[in-house]
Amino acid sequence: MTEWNTDLIRRYGSQGPRYTSYPTALQFHEEVTADDYWQALERGNLARRPLSLYLHIPFCQHVCYYCACNRVVTADTRRADQYLKRILRELSMKAERVDSQRPVLQMHWGGGTPTYLSDAQMTELVYHTARQFHLLEDDRADYSVEIDPRTVTQSRIGLLRGLGFNRASLGVQDLDPRVQEAVNRVQPYSMIEEVFGWLRDFGYRSINTDLIYGLPWQSETSLARTVEQLLCLRPERISLYNYAHLPARFKVQRQISEQTLPSAEEKLRMFSRAGEMLESAGYLLIGMDHFALPTDALAQAQQSGTLHRNFQGYSLHGDADLLGFGTSAISALGTFYGQNQKSIEEWQSDIDDNHLPLERGYLLTQDDQIRRDLITTLLCQMEVNLDAISRRWNIDARQYFGPELMQMNRLMQDGLVEFDWKTLRLTAIGRLLARAVAMVFDVWQRDGLKRHYSRII
Amino acid sequence: METTQLQLVSNTTGRSAMSQHRTSCNECSLSPICLPLAVSVDELNDLEEIMRRGRPLKRGEHLFRASDQFESVFAVRSGAVKTYALSEEGEEQVTGFYLPGEIVGMDGISTAHHMSSAKALETSSVCEIPFSRLEDLSSRIPSLQHHFFSLMSREIQADRELHMLLSKKSADDRIASLLLSLSARQQRRGLSAQRIRLPMSRYDIGNYLGLAVETVSRIFTRFQQQGMLAVEGREIEILNRESLCGNGRLRA
Repeated sequence: MTEWNTDLIRRYGSQGPRYTSYPTALQFHEEVTADDYWQALERGNLARRPLSLYLHIPFCQHVCYYCACNRVVTADTRRADQYLKRILRELSMKAERVDSQRPVLQMHWGGGTPTYLSDAQMTELVYHTARQFHLLEDDRADYSVEIDPRTVTQSRIGLLRGLGFNRASLGVQDLDPRVQEAVNRVQPYSMIEEVFGWLRDFGYRSINTDLIYGLPWQSETSLARTVEQLLCLRPERISLYNYAHLPARFKVQRQISEQTLPSAEEKLRMFSRAGEMLESAGYLLIGMDHFALPTDALAQAQQSGTLHRNFQGYSLHGDADLLGFGTSAISALGTFYGQNQKSIEEWQSDIDDNHLPLERGYLLTQDDQIRRDLITTLLCQMEVNLDAISRRWNIDARQYFGPELMQMNRLMQDGLVEFDWKTLRLTAIGRLLARAVAMVFDVWQRDGLKRHYSRII
Repeated sequence: METTQLQLVSNTTGRSAMSQHRTSCNECSLSPICLPLAVSVDELNDLEEIMRRGRPLKRGEHLFRASDQFESVFAVRSGAVKTYALSEEGEEQVTGFYLPGEIVGMDGISTAHHMSSAKALETSSVCEIPFSRLEDLSSRIPSLQHHFFSLMSREIQADRELHMLLSKKSADDRIASLLLSLSARQQRRGLSAQRIRLPMSRYDIGNYLGLAVETVSRIFTRFQQQGMLAVEGREIEILNRESLCGNGRLRA
């Protein structure tokens, strides 16, 4: 069990990236070309790496005031038609260069709201994906879709299951009516419960739910009530995200009045209380803000040391090449990261001109790769064996990371890590604050590159 | 409906494979719910061009068999068709019923072979739509493509809902769900939602819903005693829709 030491959380809860990639997306730049992309893709063909597909559907029917995602709020469903047409083209464009034998082990539809699409559009999208890529039909792969409970019926849930999805991610956020109203996302518990019933009936393998703390009108007690209700449904995975109020950057957040936001101290108590409740209900802390039931594949992968981390968060298939489709989608192909055009107009016009809609990216150096290996291993396995790193990269890791490892003394005294110059291991509380430990090894952090990260906790 | 069928039977000649008659969607009473609903008047000609009117099928005759090569989908024009798969013991497992205006044979799209067999439940006629040409045409008529995907998605939903029906619902609910579904589909064709004629036997109903045929008959009797239905052979009248829906438990 984690000891939810609020003093440590307070001290190490400064700024830090979530390390869904290393280097983080902030280091992406425009000096990358379509050739870099295609070459990276070709290297994946040669290595016969499996695939992971990410499809971004940026549309939403309604605006949620906390949202910082890339999305377009519109009631005009024709825009989705236009978008769909192009995403099909992007699928073909990339599929042409992919060895069709490579199996798709993971697929995720995110947004925005993927369930903004009509039944026919969703069918069409899967149909075309299946024609171009080698989707697995025996339910072994992990195909997941983000679901806005307000946009689905029983038969849509059945359709999605029939199209091959076996995991669902539900944006629950908070169940208190007052909070829901303040963020403009009203979805009572009874609605969530009903959707859960359908998901279970249709045999979805795993349900993930997102909760957010730090929303307007939330308090320790109100969040505890939300957690209590959610626990009745026993989702396999629960993510507990921090709301970062950055109205200067995300215009829509100006709809939220600062006065209604909980204080930093209150947030700390909320997070600790929620975490404690989840752990005593049998959930395991996978790391940072992710919890899972011990029976879930994520928890089991962590046990067996096969857990990975990518742009979709913790993942079972980190050795796969990630191909992103749609606005702002990121591809991760071995040592190359590439992000699509964020603006829908630019993305569309690139596709119409038959250009790869690449906006920015990053080609990893040897040093980046070594650091990525260490950080990912730490965040997924919760420990790093320095000898293993030395062997993998043909370096002396103790020397290579000398200055960083010196800093572990301080973290050791505070009880975040255990370190004997052989193995660096996160303690229970260290798992929670893993980002702070990872940051020490991030070369981009060293040079005083303080940016507007969301607070760790 | 009976008369239409007879007309069709007498109109067609020969027993060869699909005869190549051109079909007039324009004159078909099913056009508002079948593929033509998705195309404009100008485009209808293109659609008619690829549609072929099939020969009539006698009761028990096959439209296609499992593992036949997938080449076409079929729109049921009159009568009714059931699809079934064979279990390892060689027993028939009914997987679906198709009524006029509904498309059968889409199970072959992903694998290029039909996964199930389709057999006429009564004298029926179908229109054949060669899939490669439909794909071609769809790429030129987006609304047709969209409609076709709607049909596909409806098929997938029905499949999943059946799966759930079989794994979760009581015998009463299974029968009620089937009746409600038939009623809704009949209504879509502009026919009565209250009076339905079952094109399939009690045996097929039981097979489809995973119930013994005795159970099916018993439930029909009970529904009748409870005043929900009037049953006369294959003619069913729904007398109390609300209680048939389980007072909101099932979708009407």
